[in-house]
Amino acid sequence: MKFLCVECDQPMKLQDTKGPDDGSMTVVFACPECERQIAMLTNQMETQMVRSLDIKLGGGSPQAEPMGTIRSSLARGDDAYAPSHAHVETDQKESGSKCPFTGAVADAFEASGEIVWTQEAEERLGKIPQFARSMAKEGIERHAREKGYREISDAVMEEVRDQFAM
Amino acid sequence: MKTYKDITGDGGSNIVEQVIAQQDRVKARMASVRHTVAVMSGKGGVGKSSVVVNLGSALALQGYSVGILDADINGSSIAKMTGVRGQPLETGENGVMPTAAARNLKVMSIDFFLRDDNMPVIWDAPTQKDAFTWRGMMEAAAIRELLSDTEWGDLDFLIIDLPPGTDKLPTMVDLLPEISGTIIVTIPSELSQFVVGKSIMVAKDLLRTPVIGLVENMSMHICSQCGHEEKLFPGGIVEELAQRHGVPYLGRIPFDPRMAVCADEGSLYLEEYGDLPATNAIGQIAQRVGEFLNR
Repeated sequence: MKFLCVECDQPMKLQDTKGPDDGSMTVVFACPECERQIAMLTNQMETQMVRSLDIKLGGGSPQAEPMGTIRSSLARGDDAYAPSHAHVETDQKESGSKCPFTGAVADAFEASGEIVWTQEAEERLGKIPQFARSMAKEGIERHAREKGYREISDAVMEEVRDQFAM
Repeated sequence: MKTYKDITGDGGSNIVEQVIAQQDRVKARMASVRHTVAVMSGKGGVGKSSVVVNLGSALALQGYSVGILDADINGSSIAKMTGVRGQPLETGENGVMPTAAARNLKVMSIDFFLRDDNMPVIWDAPTQKDAFTWRGMMEAAAIRELLSDTEWGDLDFLIIDLPPGTDKLPTMVDLLPEISGTIIVTIPSELSQFVVGKSIMVAKDLLRTPVIGLVENMSMHICSQCGHEEKLFPGGIVEELAQRHGVPYLGRIPFDPRMAVCADEGSLYLEEYGDLPATNAIGQIAQRVGEFLNR
């Protein structure tokens, strides 16, 4: 993908990359003549596509740990199909990413909407039948976000008890 | 106004350069591999992985240095079949060491990275919704990494076990600097031959890879008591399928339940059983593969 400053008819140059934040990257380009800046904002899917290519916007990816992409990209949890699985631990943090971009992406995924579950709440979640657990977890976290909670405790579980038959 | 072609470079993203660097890493790794062989079949359930393991085992027994790469990312079975599943991977100076399944036989698979027996390959993402848009790229990236980051060392043969279907061979052609040859596996049934005909077309006519030949697997059952031969599948003569497409017919492997037992137990059939119709057939096929590639 290339960007052209229509006014100056000049190809724009990469200035900065920010994020990813909530799975979105901000990539800033500027015209070398008029210095006008534009920002390309990627959605979650586009960010994930860049991650899948194992490339870094704005530079070469340093050769680091062998099999770094596989190690850092394989989901570890049984509930990977739940829309949010911020609690899932990957080897990314332990081993460091092969690529700063993908590392930053993974960090952002882990950080996005980070909600902590207390042990009590996790135990209670574990009592929900497995086939329904992911859906319940998603719903409880959504409820917590809507209420502005950072932690899901037994009290929060009480609030949604009827909804998820706990 | 300038068009895409008028502008050189991508303004600093350096995507193309990074992709080339990835390709160079694969190329550098493959420099110590004499022959790269892709084993494929359009049809699932024809015993492709079994052919891969037995062929690799036969070539290793003949004194060749052999590596097997399990490129069936979502259905990896090679590590279990060769008895190395669960073994810890060691990282050497230049990459991850493949596991040794037998003398002269090394194995690498994504299976080594999975948490437990029940864990399928799922890629970490904020959401799996619409994952079809990037899952294929992720799988290709994984195969590329298994190729480039494995410290294969000097190999006479790197045998790549592809998943069923015709779509992964083009991926391998893109990833590898060269494919020395493809082996296509079928069973005698009309259905299998119908589907596998398309695989031959892709390998030979569309991608123009050298087709080493067609293997007829589970061609018949031979009674271990009386030696009576019985067909397992109705269907046309597989040699004729090979002839119609102008590819060599490498031979037929009779069905032997002991082969399945070995696969389940993770022992190598050719090492367990010396002189059986199926072991001899596999040995002959390996001989023909060696002759084709060393000619």
